[in-house]
Amino acid sequence: MTKEELILKANEVLAEEFEVEESVITPDADIKATLQLDSLSLVDMVALIEETFGVKLKGTDVSSVKTFGALYDFIYERL
Amino acid sequence: MNTPLISGKEIERLLPQRPPILMIDQLIEATEHEARTALTIVQNNIFCVDNNFREPGIIEHIAQSASALAGYNALCQSQPAPVGYIGEVKKFHINRLPKAGDTLQTHLQIVSEVNGVSLLKAETMVETELIASGQLKIFIE
Repeated sequence: MTKEELILKANEVLAEEFEVEESVITPDADIKATLQLDSLSLVDMVALIEETFGVKLKGTDVSSVKTFGALYDFIYERL
Repeated sequence: MNTPLISGKEIERLLPQRPPILMIDQLIEATEHEARTALTIVQNNIFCVDNNFREPGIIEHIAQSASALAGYNALCQSQPAPVGYIGEVKKFHINRLPKAGDTLQTHLQIVSEVNGVSLLKAETMVETELIASGQLKIFIE
């Protein structure tokens, strides 16, 4: 999977799961604010990333991965 | 059915609920992230109406299955059973209501865990029939 394919897939599944327009998901955008994640829904994003890409985010990763750009990099480095 | 890991009164070591609200009677098997539990529905179960085990009873049974898994893992480490709270019930489908006399068997799997919140997937069967399935978010103290 190329990084471009990864970004397209990630945006598609995140937009569908959290019911936002794909256009608001940009590399510099804050993940929690854009997807309106709270402490309960954060676990949905972690499960979705693992189900889609087979990449597991731990609690410490979630704290450090703040933007979609950082999320794409995190996943790509672990594929 | 396998010989259960824990059954009867011993179940009360795993979770804080007590009769008449106790909604599991066997922990059949368990690993760190999965469990299989059972409940035989008696006629005077508080969730039974007109011989049908109602929806809140099924959800309570699944939530207590999650609690039993957490309690079993704590027990294995000589820790007290933790207190858990249901945060959310998602994608929950009930295909039919079980009846008094049926034995529910629930397979529970932790899908993901972040910052004390666990996302669990559950399937509840009566014999080979899928009765209910869904996801629960549990916050463990």
